[in-house]
Amino acid sequence: MEIISPTPKPINTAASPEGVPAPVPAPAPVPFGVNEMRLNARQWVATLLIVGFVLLLTPWLWERIERFDTGPDYRIPYSLSKDYWLYGRRMGQVVGHNQTIVLGDSVVWGEYVAPDGTLSHFLNKEAGTTNRFVNMGINGMFPLAQEGLVEYYGKSLRNQKVILQCNVLWMTSPKADLSLDKEDVFNHSSLVPQFSPRIPCYKADASERLSVVVQREVGFLQWVGHLQNAYFDQKNIAVWTLEEDGASSPPTHPNSYKNPLAQITLVVPSAPLDNPQRGPKSPRHKPWSTDGKGTTRFEWVGLDASLQWHAVQLTVNRLIARGNDVLVVLGPFNEHLMAEDNRQEFHKIRDGILLWLNEKKIPTIVPETLPSELYADASHPLTAGYELLAKHIYADDRFRSWQK
Amino acid sequence: MLFHTWPFLIFLLVVLPMFFALRKTRLWLPWLTLASYFFYGWWNPYYLLLVIYSTLLDFGLVALMDHCPVDGKRVNVMGRLTRLRFDDRVLKIAFLGSAFAALGILALAVVGPKTLRPTMAGFSVLVLLMALGALYSSRKIWLLISLVNNLALLIFFKYARFFVENLNVAFSWVHLPLKLADPSTLMPLGFQYLLPVGISFFTFQSLSYTIDFYFGKVHRERNLLRFATFVCFFPQLMAGPIERARNLLPQFNQFPPVRLQNFTDGASLFLVGLFKKLALANYLAFYVERVYDNPSAFGAPALFLATVAFGWQIFFDFSGYTDMARGVAKLMGFNLILNFNNPYLATGLGDFWSRWHISLSSWFRDYVYIPLGGNRGGTLLTYRNLFITFFISGIWHGANWTFMIWGILHGLGVLITRELERAEFYRERVPKLLKQFGVFLFVTFTWIFFRADSLGDAMLIVRRIFTATWQDPQIPALMLLLIAFIWLYQFLYESKVREVLATGLVRVSLAAFMLLYLCVCSSGGGAFIYFQF
Repeated sequence: MEIISPTPKPINTAASPEGVPAPVPAPAPVPFGVNEMRLNARQWVATLLIVGFVLLLTPWLWERIERFDTGPDYRIPYSLSKDYWLYGRRMGQVVGHNQTIVLGDSVVWGEYVAPDGTLSHFLNKEAGTTNRFVNMGINGMFPLAQEGLVEYYGKSLRNQKVILQCNVLWMTSPKADLSLDKEDVFNHSSLVPQFSPRIPCYKADASERLSVVVQREVGFLQWVGHLQNAYFDQKNIAVWTLEEDGASSPPTHPNSYKNPLAQITLVVPSAPLDNPQRGPKSPRHKPWSTDGKGTTRFEWVGLDASLQWHAVQLTVNRLIARGNDVLVVLGPFNEHLMAEDNRQEFHKIRDGILLWLNEKKIPTIVPETLPSELYADASHPLTAGYELLAKHIYADDRFRSWQK
Repeated sequence: MLFHTWPFLIFLLVVLPMFFALRKTRLWLPWLTLASYFFYGWWNPYYLLLVIYSTLLDFGLVALMDHCPVDGKRVNVMGRLTRLRFDDRVLKIAFLGSAFAALGILALAVVGPKTLRPTMAGFSVLVLLMALGALYSSRKIWLLISLVNNLALLIFFKYARFFVENLNVAFSWVHLPLKLADPSTLMPLGFQYLLPVGISFFTFQSLSYTIDFYFGKVHRERNLLRFATFVCFFPQLMAGPIERARNLLPQFNQFPPVRLQNFTDGASLFLVGLFKKLALANYLAFYVERVYDNPSAFGAPALFLATVAFGWQIFFDFSGYTDMARGVAKLMGFNLILNFNNPYLATGLGDFWSRWHISLSSWFRDYVYIPLGGNRGGTLLTYRNLFITFFISGIWHGANWTFMIWGILHGLGVLITRELERAEFYRERVPKLLKQFGVFLFVTFTWIFFRADSLGDAMLIVRRIFTATWQDPQIPALMLLLIAFIWLYQFLYESKVREVLATGLVRVSLAAFMLLYLCVCSSGGGAFIYFQF
């Protein structure tokens, strides 16, 4: 409350409503503000030019000054799975060199295996090279996100040979298909369609969805995402300064007094050489049946209703429209895990997929089911499984003729 | 809809061009009204009815007030009652309409569903009062209706649950077998019982118009659309500044002049506000929330710094909103009043309140403090009036004991600093910087009560600040750097070297820095603190 002495005039007026109303005074001029941040048109133009210049130049310059070590069997590290700017940069590196891009989810990426145990590694081995087949799978990917990844971050993927892995795992239930109405939190939500087609379980508000749309279109914002992913534990820089260690109570904040700029080492982090979570020595690297799991009945989602299948179709169409030569690998799905009476539905879906691909004249390989002990779960092979899978694919006539 | 979100940008990109496209027609005003209603309805379309209701009622009441004699001459009530002889046709219609409406509503209350009864009963009293207003041709009754109606809305949605809960506790203390029902049970037709965003702002704004008209400070607005736009003007609908009719209403008389400067000024204001909200307030909120959500886990330095951080957070949050509101209005050519004036550079608490939430402070000054007698009754009465005003201001902020304590503390603080300012030594000898620091510390101390979740938490924080042992506060260096930078800027602005800040180089550098910082480091969304009031 302003306690300066009130002027008597309004009080007098106030005290006598019965009197003739006083003439209404003209409003006082409104002060602009309480700081000097009042830019004129020329200053705004100068500001926008500077900002525009920085926005355009920074990502371009960054690509040239930041070290990005890749080499044979390189795959985007798990911790950088959401660094789509880096994905685009990697894509830009590998296209145009007579290489074959292998696109897909964690089956292509190699969830349980080391970089030298993946499908692309063994395809290279079959071909007697080290870098013809490039692992462009991303951990946590699924068809709806894959479509966004190709559309927005894989723009340089043109006139290239592309192996697209199609995983029917995403049609094994309405939940996996993201077609349940109940809200679900899933990976790579910023890659899925934000408005159409509607994904029932994705309940982000309009502001969040629009943020995603803007981020996809503005290269600088993608680059900011890269900074956060590569140097700030996938966090906003401000949030990073308040990151908790998560171990003590009250929590300690190891980054409080750190200089955020010192975090930026200008070297893209690489995956740890010996990841205890992946590779033959990892405790996770074991056949699916060793835990005593029995067979499963899936609630298959029909192709007509499947959002994920629709996304696969869009991805294929987009890749072809960009002049790519596409081959689809349908599988490898672990049929051993499926209950006997559930197979018929699976075959129906698989045949439907094949029919559509054949109509589109897309060469397709359906590798025969691997031995049960070579699967880690419903769709991920173990290292030996990938090796066998690569052999199957490589031996396939359709693959050979496509390769030529 | 929040200013710092993408939907708002799209909204603005639709509203602004259309607004300017309609400038040569009479449709620009309806367009503005429609846009404002859409803006509010985005949050909750049902509660838009409240804004419309409040608007219609106050517009109608002032129209009726205008038909009553200002000299308060006596009327023949019996003649009017028995022979329906009114000098004014409008008042006659109002009387008959209200009387029949009151009966109809009462009948509905009796035969209608049980859940509607309390609402209907309340309405029938209000409508009956309207009949009395027409019968007696009394401007006072019309004013009373406006006051009762607006305050009843505010009390029901904002304070009813607090009162009911506290009364129930009191009943159980004295072993009375009474238990009042939760106010949500009174919501008609299954509407949710939520605090309508901005209710404290639009009701105060609407109310100020009826009071000002009653006291002859403003002319009657005859155009309903113009008045509706005044009440719901979207830039300031949610959290102010609380505009006065004499400032804002005349601006809707004609299309504002289109000038390039409006765009550059509006964009400047908006950018500063956006930076305050996204880069500063939201960032500080992370630290504040962490400490205040679990105060017993933190030592004195962290609690103290979190309180200081909250002081800055609420300033950046609220003044950021105001800057954006003023900026958006300016883009269209409208001027909203200044709401903050570097309050943390105040040298006294009175000075602080003339710099903090100026539109609310002046509202309370004009409609509470002065009607109570202001400073016209001697020192004791002045202090009583000040104290009551601050107490009400505390309650205005929310239905919680913590806000009341906050208001009381400020009331006491104002009395003390007022006394101090009478002493020549304090006035002349105490350095300005020390006074500023003292005021800042006091205000910061009171924020504890404003921010704490409960009175217990607030007391715990106060106790621990003074008694707990040293513990590394772990406040991010970046946060301290930003606060120091802002403080320095404000000091410079109020110093002799202010011209330096006005140079093109500084302005362009700062604007570019803010834009780039927002792109790289901004701390996401989050609603404005004052939306809850």
